Amino acid sequence: MIGAPRLLKTLARVVARSRADATSVCAHASTRRVFRFAYGGIHQDLIQEEVSVTVTVRRGRRVGIATVDTLDPPSLGRCVTTALDLAAHAPTQTDLAPLPPSNRLRTRADYDPRTVGLSAVHAVHAIQRLVHVCRGVGAELAGSLLNGEDELAVATSAGTSCYAASTVAGAKLVTMYRALSGYTSGVARRFNRLDLEVLLERALRQCLHRQDPVTLPLGAYEVILEPEAVAELLDWLGSIAFGAKALQERISFLAGRIGEPLMSRELTVYDDATESKTLRMPFDYEGVPKRRVLLIDRGRAAGVVYDSLYAQRVGASSTGHAMWPGEVEGPLPMHLAIRPGRRAAAELIRRCRRGLLIPRVHYVNGLLNPREALMTGLLREGAFLIEHGKLVAPVTTMRFTQSLLEAFRQVRGISRERRAVADPSSGLGCSLVPTLHLGQFHFTGRSSSNQDTA
Amino acid sequence: MPSAIDHRLSHELARSLLRQLLRRGVEYADVRSEHLLHESLVAEDGRVSSISRSESAGVGIRVLLRGSWGFASTPHLTLASLRRAAAQALELAKAAALLNREPRRLAPVEPVKARHVSRCAIDPFKVPLAKKLDDLLWANQELLGPKVIRHATSHMDFYRRVKRFDSTEGAQIEQRVIESGAGLEIVAQQGGEVQTRSVPNSHHGALAQAGYEYVKGLDLVGGAARAQREVLALLRAQPPRAGETTLVLDPTQVVMQLHESCGHPVELDRALGHELSYAGGSFLTPDRLDQFRYGSPQVTIVADATIPGGVGSFGFDDEGVPAQRVELVREGLFVGYLSSRESAARLGRSSGGAMRAESWSVPPLVRMTNVNLEPGKATRDELLRGIKHGYLLSTNKSWSIDDKRLNFQFTTEIGWEITNGALGGIVKNPLYTGLTPQFWGRCTGVGRREDWQLWGIPNCAKGEPMQLMHVGHGASYARFDGVSVAPAR
Repeated sequence: MIGAPRLLKTLARVVARSRADATSVCAHASTRRVFRFAYGGIHQDLIQEEVSVTVTVRRGRRVGIATVDTLDPPSLGRCVTTALDLAAHAPTQTDLAPLPPSNRLRTRADYDPRTVGLSAVHAVHAIQRLVHVCRGVGAELAGSLLNGEDELAVATSAGTSCYAASTVAGAKLVTMYRALSGYTSGVARRFNRLDLEVLLERALRQCLHRQDPVTLPLGAYEVILEPEAVAELLDWLGSIAFGAKALQERISFLAGRIGEPLMSRELTVYDDATESKTLRMPFDYEGVPKRRVLLIDRGRAAGVVYDSLYAQRVGASSTGHAMWPGEVEGPLPMHLAIRPGRRAAAELIRRCRRGLLIPRVHYVNGLLNPREALMTGLLREGAFLIEHGKLVAPVTTMRFTQSLLEAFRQVRGISRERRAVADPSSGLGCSLVPTLHLGQFHFTGRSSSNQDTA
Repeated sequence: MPSAIDHRLSHELARSLLRQLLRRGVEYADVRSEHLLHESLVAEDGRVSSISRSESAGVGIRVLLRGSWGFASTPHLTLASLRRAAAQALELAKAAALLNREPRRLAPVEPVKARHVSRCAIDPFKVPLAKKLDDLLWANQELLGPKVIRHATSHMDFYRRVKRFDSTEGAQIEQRVIESGAGLEIVAQQGGEVQTRSVPNSHHGALAQAGYEYVKGLDLVGGAARAQREVLALLRAQPPRAGETTLVLDPTQVVMQLHESCGHPVELDRALGHELSYAGGSFLTPDRLDQFRYGSPQVTIVADATIPGGVGSFGFDDEGVPAQRVELVREGLFVGYLSSRESAARLGRSSGGAMRAESWSVPPLVRMTNVNLEPGKATRDELLRGIKHGYLLSTNKSWSIDDKRLNFQFTTEIGWEITNGALGGIVKNPLYTGLTPQFWGRCTGVGRREDWQLWGIPNCAKGEPMQLMHVGHGASYARFDGVSVAPAR
């Protein structure tokens, strides 16, 4: 761990060294230890230690951005010189927001030294126990187990000086039994909150069946989407619709429709990086405190997230959703959430007459027609046919092609339980989502093992 | 920015580290140091929106101890940091050995002392920034004009990567690679209709191991006029008719089809179950090698890491195995995998030289090199001839495939109707879907070498932590019968 004093002091020196009219420096240091395993063996393990420092300078209305991945002072000095040099050659920007007002914040509230200090042997023993349980019931196990830490800091010539340290632990488990497989993932700030046994039990429940999977006719089905499936679809909505850039370019389905009913009244979607149950992030990459933003309010289009540039264009203020400097995707939500409902998840299944239980979706793509949120993707592990409120048979892989706007107009139930879903091996975001019962989802293709010959 | 020299780990230091690791009892170890410089220039709606340069340098240490792997990396090139990373790698390997019953074995490779430098006529980092921005803005401004144009983006990317590789077997390899790429994207919107055109390819696919001469050859300004014309036409176009029909894919879409339905399923680590917790497995399991009919006799697919210009080319992979041309599908028969020393040893074969790491901070995985559809003899018009009704599709828009790489669905940015062998009007939102072996089994024609194009995919995701790799794909036109087509709506 670098620590707040050293990291902020380093960033302050970079700001002081720059002779630019305005300077901001953003740093992210992270460590990840990952074990990947399959069929009773660990085939990959690694410790990845990285730090990335990006310097953004302004000379008048010219901007230059440079990045290095070290805190070594000579390299940081050269990084400042490069940014100044790029700015000197850059054309004048007509569209430039002032640096956000000073914000000073230090937090280690989500840092757990025991999670970082977990020994490799302890982690392997945890995997060993899971493998043992699986083998005991005749199942095979694959997956990954991760722990690590993040330090995020922002300093600017406008006086901002922010630092947040956090730890993270995550697991993905794929269980395999005869022709079936199950999947679950878990994420927490503390390793001891992962509850690997509960995760394994959930994955095993999906695959420990004697019944072979059935191939269903294509068409529309009611679906019960469990949190991992909901999170994947919601993430796509975030990237195609809930950022200010997509709205201003009129690609978002919210464009021209703010205030209009677009989804079921049951559905409220928001972004909130400060909620205790998510993987919190107190400020964005401009050092602006994260704000809760209502995106869909009881079915009505409510708003999008902003950074300082996109906010200035419409006379609004930043909501704390700036991405890493140099990214051109514009502000994006990283902590999407759906307001919980009143029913238990198990009750949603009981109320389903004929439909599919979908624990996760695979390889979703939301670029088909963003104005309608048309997406495609596939079932993967653990999908079951539900009849009269009971799970009756596992089903073979099917592809859906579905407008999410259309699907989210037909919400039949939302669970009161929510789960944090994140992939800490590839980013800092996290979704906090319930199980959803939707009236209709269109299945348009299948991959059947008896069809895989030419 | 500093020169790459400043940050390279010397072979002497690497060798000293490797000697220490041998004393600690490793069966094998390698030390890979890398320095990457990336310049990214972006213009949006007639103005430069981002000029950035990033530099990354560090060392990855991989050990094989008690039959188990351990890997650790550090950006700090001090002896103390390197020793700490080496100790961490050893600790991981020892811990993994508590679980592993089968020791990992490596297929043999002749260790070499070698140097590889990619071809580059005009070093993009020596081209004045003002010249690059001029070219970028000129093309960007050509995209603008009509009110329905909502967004116009142009980009350039330049990479310079210097790697050093040393192993306990005695390999000492240095490689220097320069890549250049550029492209345009235009978005038009009218009412509820949003259409996109990207030239010369979507998803930053115009990327090559080359210098600025590659960017100049792309003719972005000429491409901008075509992109604008086509995106406006798409706003008024009809969608394709739903049903089974004949498709001709142009090279920009064939490469995405190759990537998803051939490149990934022939990764041997995936076929052995190593990616089950992330992107899934493969229908091309080892028992199908040399047995399974993947496609029609027209279909020959190779992984070729030796092609000049391909972003999947190199002198040696990240295990020190020389670049190779490996047959994956020969006249329709599945005959080969992309492989590493460990995965190849599991099949009793030699490594196909496909171990690649995104950066110094992560271990190498089995990755695509340049996965190419070998050219046939037909001109595009010869492929169209005889088609009563069908579509020519170009430029990938969306992609999705199942966890065994069987059921796929693609949409493209644009299509043209084919009637009685002749190209007709533009169609919007074309979508096609199928099952990999059936689809390639119905390949009834492959275009000639003269129309063969080599593209790059700079964001091929795999692994945990996710690694984004630059991979290459070459293809000409290809024709497929009996394909299920529909409008994306």
